[in-house]
Order: sequence, then C-alpha cells, then structure tokens
Amino acid sequence: MESIPLTWEEVARVYGRKIYNFAYRLTGNPDDAHDLVQEVLLRVRRGLANYQPGSFEGWLWRITRNAFLDDVRRKKRRPTAPMPDEVDRWDLASADSADTEYDRISLGDDIQKALLELPIDFREAVVLCDVVGLSYEEIAAAVAVPIGTVRSRIHRGRKMLKDLLS
Amino acid sequence: MSHPSELISAYLDGELHGGELKSLLDHLSGCGRCSAEMEDIQRVRAAVRSLPVLELPEGVVPEAESELVPLHRNRGVWFGAAAAVVALVIAVAALVTPPPDQISVDELTSRFGARATLDPAFNPAKVVVPVEVSE
Repeated sequence: MESIPLTWEEVARVYGRKIYNFAYRLTGNPDDAHDLVQEVLLRVRRGLANYQPGSFEGWLWRITRNAFLDDVRRKKRRPTAPMPDEVDRWDLASADSADTEYDRISLGDDIQKALLELPIDFREAVVLCDVVGLSYEEIAAAVAVPIGTVRSRIHRGRKMLKDLLS
Repeated sequence: MSHPSELISAYLDGELHGGELKSLLDHLSGCGRCSAEMEDIQRVRAAVRSLPVLELPEGVVPEAESELVPLHRNRGVWFGAAAAVVALVIAVAALVTPPPDQISVDELTSRFGARATLDPAFNPAKVVVPVEVSE
C-alpha cells in the first residue's frame, strides 16, 4: 500500500513546489498560482480525513486540476482585471539581473506565452507531463480520461506549441 | 500511407511498448515526414522541460492552520459580521424598550365605551374583551 502524507502541512512541504509550478504554468500569473496553491491545500486538508488508500498523487492532482478548472469557470462568470503590464513585458533582456523571481521566470517567457495560447485540455496535459513529470497513467487518473486521450492531447498540444513558437 | 503521428510523443516519453513501438520504429526508418516531425516535437518537449523550476514564494504555504482560507475568504467574514451586528441591535433594543403598561379589563371596557359614545362608526362588536366567568 502506498504511504501517504498524514497532514496537509506534509503535503505542502512535499508537493507545494510542484503544485505551484503546475499552477503557474497553467495560469501564467504568480498571484493566481499563489491563490490556487492555497485553495488546493485547503481542499487537501478537508479531504484527507476521507481519503481512501490508492494513488495519492492521482488524488492530489485531481484536486489540483479541479481547483484550477473551478477558478477558470469562476473567472469566466466574473471577469477580472487583465494581468499587469509588467507581467506581459517580461523579456529576455532582463535576464541579466537574474536575482528576482520575475527575471528567472522571463527565461521561459516565449514558451510560457505559447502555453497560455493552448486550449486548457491540451495545456493541462502538456504541463502535467513536461513540468510536473507525471506518467500518462497518472495523468489519465488525474484528468479522468483514457490513456489514449492523454497521449493524443500531449502530442497535439506539442504540435500547437511548435506552430506557436516557430 | 498512414502516418502514426500521435505515437511520436508517446515514444519520446517512454510510453510506447510492444507492437506499437516496433511499428513506429519501422515506420520512422522509411518516412522522412514523420522523422522530421519527431525532431520538431523533441525540440518543443525539451523546451517545455527546460522551463525554470520556480521556488515556492514565501507566504504561499500558511504557517498556521488558521491562515488556511478559501479563495472566497471575504464572503464568510462579511456574512458573519452582518449577522453579529443584527443580533447586537436586537439585543440592545430589547434591553432599552420599556414593557407595555398593564391595563385592566375595566379600564379597557371604559375606553371602548367612551369611543362608542363619541364615534358612531366605531363598532364595538368587533372587539373581544375577555370577561371573567365566575362559577
């Protein structure tokens, strides 16, 4: 049987950075990623009491992507202000002063922008595979689709990225 | 000629096995189009995987359980505050409002009787005055 973190604090310590990277690459926005991580930890804290032994990572990433999708739906119903200009204007020239969070993020700016252009299903599949490092089976469990669909979404997502980046 | 394009990513991710793997490798050896596509996909895959890993900013993970609040944290706070204010107003009003004066049956009868005398439109039959019945 897979051992699982017993408390949400342990989940935060072990998975917090991965969840944040997933959230950031999906949203492209540090504030949204911050809120999403806290929402996921809240859901984990509520859900741990009823957790049934099984794939803990599948359970965790299902919670994470559901929290992300809920946030997307909520924002569609109630549009908020666009991202601040400075976030849109990250560029490679600023990489010289690599001390700040924004400068480090800017190294992957073109790829990040291209990711945000992908439809959510494809973006999610690519990020779970290439950023989080889940297997196709784990992605299928998290997203609740067959492995064949995961395979197709990852490949089509990468092809879209190639077109966007070329 | 069919091109098993969607198998390319699975192959690069180590997710292709058995007959599908053999089939793709056989195909790639004789298909320039799919070989070129595999190079493109490999570059994109490497680019996404080269994105810097972001450290968790301070403050994202709450230090104490009480700091874990939902995304709609303000909603519950305002509902609670409004309910507390309403309850306080009701409690204060109950304390400062004097109780109604006691009135006897005789006094009530006297009041209605006076009004019946002065106001012909008044219909005392509509007023029910409790009357003590002696056994």
